[in-house]
Amino acid sequence: MADETRSAFEESEDTRQAQIERATNAVLVAAALALVGGTLVGLVSPSYLVFLVSLAAMYGLLSLGLNVQWGYAGLINFSVAAFFGLGAYVPVLLSASGSPITDAVPPIVGLFAAVVVTVLLALAIGIPTLSLREDYLAIASLGLAEVVRLVFRNQENWTGGTSGVGGIPLFFEGVPVLGTLPRDIGTVDLGIYTLGFQFWNGLLNALIVGSFVLVSYLVLRRVHRSPWGRVLRTIRSDEDLAEALGKNAYAFRMQAFVLGSVVTMLAGVYYAYSNYFLTPGIFDPIYTFYAWIAVILGGSGSNRGALFGGVVIVAIIEGTRAFGLSASWRLFAVGLLIILVMRFRPQGVLPPRDELIWPGARGGGTDE
Amino acid sequence: MIGSLSAAGVLASAVAQLGGGYLPQLLNYLANGVVFSAIIVLGGIGLSLVYSIANFANFAHGDTMTVGAYAGLVTLGAVGTAGPQLFSLPLGFYAALLAGIAVAAIVAVATHYLIYEPLDVDSIGLLITSIGVAFVYRALVQLRFGTGTYEYDIATLRPIPWIEDLTGITLTEHEVAIVLVSTTLVVALHVVLQYTTLGRTMRATADNESLAKVSGIRTDRVITSMWVIGAGLAGAAGVFLGLYNQLSPRMGFNLLLVVFAAVILGGIGSVYGAMLGGFVIGMVNRLTPVLTDVGIPIEPAYANAIAFVIMVLVLLVRPTGIAGEEVT
Amino acid sequence: MVTGACGNELGCDARTTPRSRNHAPSGTADPERGKGYMRCSLFMNVNMVHNTKRLTRRDILRATGVAGIAATAGCVDLGGGGESGPYEIGMVDSQTGSLSAFGERNQRGRDLALSAVNDVGIGGRELSISVQDSQSQQSTGVSAAQQLVNQEGVPFLIGAVGSGVSIAIYQSVIEGTDVVQLSQNSTSPGLTDYPGLLRMSPTGRTQSSALADIISEDGNESVALTYVNNDYGSGITQAFRDAYDGEILYDSSHDQGQSSYSSVVSQMANTDADAWLFITYQPEFTTMTQEAYSSGVEGQATWYGADSVQGSDVLDNTPEGSLEGMKVVLPSAPVDQENYQSFASEFESEYDREPTVWAAYAYDCVVTAALSIQAADEFTGAALGDVVRDVTRPEGEQVTSFEAASEILADGGSASDVDYQGVSGPIDFDENGDPVAYLQILTVQDHEYESTGFITGE
Repeated sequence: MADETRSAFEESEDTRQAQIERATNAVLVAAALALVGGTLVGLVSPSYLVFLVSLAAMYGLLSLGLNVQWGYAGLINFSVAAFFGLGAYVPVLLSASGSPITDAVPPIVGLFAAVVVTVLLALAIGIPTLSLREDYLAIASLGLAEVVRLVFRNQENWTGGTSGVGGIPLFFEGVPVLGTLPRDIGTVDLGIYTLGFQFWNGLLNALIVGSFVLVSYLVLRRVHRSPWGRVLRTIRSDEDLAEALGKNAYAFRMQAFVLGSVVTMLAGVYYAYSNYFLTPGIFDPIYTFYAWIAVILGGSGSNRGALFGGVVIVAIIEGTRAFGLSASWRLFAVGLLIILVMRFRPQGVLPPRDELIWPGARGGGTDE
Repeated sequence: MIGSLSAAGVLASAVAQLGGGYLPQLLNYLANGVVFSAIIVLGGIGLSLVYSIANFANFAHGDTMTVGAYAGLVTLGAVGTAGPQLFSLPLGFYAALLAGIAVAAIVAVATHYLIYEPLDVDSIGLLITSIGVAFVYRALVQLRFGTGTYEYDIATLRPIPWIEDLTGITLTEHEVAIVLVSTTLVVALHVVLQYTTLGRTMRATADNESLAKVSGIRTDRVITSMWVIGAGLAGAAGVFLGLYNQLSPRMGFNLLLVVFAAVILGGIGSVYGAMLGGFVIGMVNRLTPVLTDVGIPIEPAYANAIAFVIMVLVLLVRPTGIAGEEVT
Repeated sequence: MVTGACGNELGCDARTTPRSRNHAPSGTADPERGKGYMRCSLFMNVNMVHNTKRLTRRDILRATGVAGIAATAGCVDLGGGGESGPYEIGMVDSQTGSLSAFGERNQRGRDLALSAVNDVGIGGRELSISVQDSQSQQSTGVSAAQQLVNQEGVPFLIGAVGSGVSIAIYQSVIEGTDVVQLSQNSTSPGLTDYPGLLRMSPTGRTQSSALADIISEDGNESVALTYVNNDYGSGITQAFRDAYDGEILYDSSHDQGQSSYSSVVSQMANTDADAWLFITYQPEFTTMTQEAYSSGVEGQATWYGADSVQGSDVLDNTPEGSLEGMKVVLPSAPVDQENYQSFASEFESEYDREPTVWAAYAYDCVVTAALSIQAADEFTGAALGDVVRDVTRPEGEQVTSFEAASEILADGGSASDVDYQGVSGPIDFDENGDPVAYLQILTVQDHEYESTGFITGE
């Protein structure tokens, strides 16, 4: 079972993959340098830069969450937007002055409440759908996400409906130092830029979402390498085998679904506390499809791929805006991107490396 | 079985509770349901055909309806509304209908050969690709026509007097036309499926593609015909949807999930199941106001939500749907 | 590898089948492909390269390299910088999306105003407006504002159409900065709570009170109402509920852009309300009218409508006689005044159609911005914010065109020497940033809109 000879195809695939990875790295480094350089010389406003970074991190979270569900567990989950919206609405409905329910709960506590509600909703959606075949799971999860959207839209007495919920406080409201930090720093004059409240607040928000991303990434990486992760990958590749080994495939998939949904929910929390006004538009299925493109483009099963996909999505959305292209062109670009990726590189730009399924699988042995 | 019993129960209690005067109202909801189901059925058949022969869930099906509707708009604008009328619809409208069918079919076949066919992915990959295709269709419609709404240049009608006098049902000639033409198309499809060679080869391919190939059936021709018929019916559904109300770029996508619900209810892979499922879902959708009328606090805004819940229940309880495994 | 008993999907249980089934339509196992590759699909290309160490650095690179493409693309614009270039302000408009009709109207008003302003110039320089699309959505609107305010550095932002979008932009981008925000079309009463958020269209509260008064005065003791389910509809409806003291027998929202509203119409017909009130947009209202007409119920009650249900599209697409006697209350330009009439005739010769009040609001936004720029000491948000209210307030000489106002300012006048009377009304921002309301009542007679009264708000 040691390394056997690998086929020429596999060898060339590896080289190509390595080339692509190097190329991707080069592009990202160049872009990063351009950005930083641009900021230093006054071409890129620091507030805008911070905003873009935060947006990319938000889409990155959406993709990381979906990656757990699709990449690890093979679940065609089209209910991403429901959890995104939930992560935004639950803390806000508990802490905003415009909330029809209450405004007494500090946002951080609201975050934990959101986790609880997410788990409950994930179970509610997962139980009926996770035992379904892949494409049925897709349709059913999309349908249930739509039900969630309709509820939030129409139950005005609970959710404010389409009037929206305003008066959202800062995320760290009530916390001793962090709660007032953006205001306390005041205005810093750097010559070419003056950094005021909006900048410091934006920076704080970026740090919040950045830490969400970091924590999620580390947790997911750890999980991926754990026995749990191995079982999941086995289930994904051959469920009968996993069942034969005594693993309850359904339970593992449910856990993956719940975990992914919690990560997705974090993106919603960031959204709410950086936009200060929330409407049910956040449940629009387009967010689900953005997450999917990000994961597919980035490489299913790969966390770095998911983050990369998030970056690309933001690049497309904000880039087309910068070039003055209309929303229809954006839609066209996104659709075309999906088609091209599926046609030419369905495994994505940065597919997972080191996917060890079982030792004998390496190198084309004849076990069956 | 359970479903139909409970539905009948709700309706009966509605009449009992609200009195005989409610009956015309109820009949009106039912009539609306028939018209709406006609559109859903046309859409559902196409979706079911694609599912059974090309083996993937085509998320671009809704936007195919949109393409057909806008093709009809252009044709009607070009041909004009003069001339003789059938059901108060000018000849130009029927030309628009044919154009909608044709354009949708052509676009679908082109998409198949350019995009789906060269792909080397499984059904999930095709599903995702079809989402990209849906975006492209919608974006092209928006780029050409903008994001606003359009109407066909056809006057609105009063309800047909004798029907109204007799039964209290308000139905216009346009709605009658939708139902009749849809029925004609569906009957025509049935004839094709059962009595022609094409139909037989389609059923065989749907049943078992490798066996069909082995038996000498030209499956690539079958697949093309399947796209033509499926997308053509979707185009017709789009044109009728535009007549039933308005055209907008999201019109098809908004209906897509409801059509999926219908197809799943009827049984994936079964054309006749799609017809039945479409009928049921369309009726339930239009009957939702009955719930508030009898005091159940589910607003008509949740009509689609009810369809989705039904869909999920079907998948849990009887995943093969009403029509089960039967292909035809 | 287990292939499974069912070679294809048809008739297979919808429950999970082992992954091995769900591949190529033939569904057969491929022993070659089974090794080392995930059975599922080409998505997971099993790559044998071992390289854990580079991972961490890549993540850091990724974190810093984020969105570089977008930013570098969007950033080569130094904004309204230099001493001689045009003054650049920003505008967030609904060019696409559910409110795109308003975006179109705004565009016409804006372009007309721009040419009027640039014919005269602002101290020898031109005005230029950088417009971004909000797509009628909050998140896109906020992104657009972020770009305009933070990246392009505009000190004055005209935006947005949707009330939710305006509030979101204000709270997440504008508040705490000096940038002046002036919404062109937002009518929700909610904006009154933000004094820093100015708007050109008056609060819907005035309209709702007016509607409540008219409905009562006409002798209607009960009302069945339906409203479009968004911030515009709910805002006006909430204010109406507060203002109306008769009975509301039916109160239900409907979604925008639906194929049919027959259930709403039939439920309204079921109540025996004296009056039916529609708070929605033209396409939806057209559908409802058609369906009411098709069901024969349109004569059952007197019809009333809020501002957005009226328009030529409605008249064109509804049958004769179906709307007879309907009354609509809408914010209006002072149609009897000379400046409006010259605006209207310019508009008609340019665009071949009558202006809507929404175009007039956009027009006034641009002119107000231009006047503020001229009256301010410098082209910064703080300076503009100091003068923007004063140029429209009653102190000072009343002028009705940019040209006239500009003359006064050029002669050494200050902001309080000018009282710009807009083509949409006297404006006169109050301490909450709301303009004075000026409403018109239209009645449908012989399938045409006839003006039957004016109301001035407080």
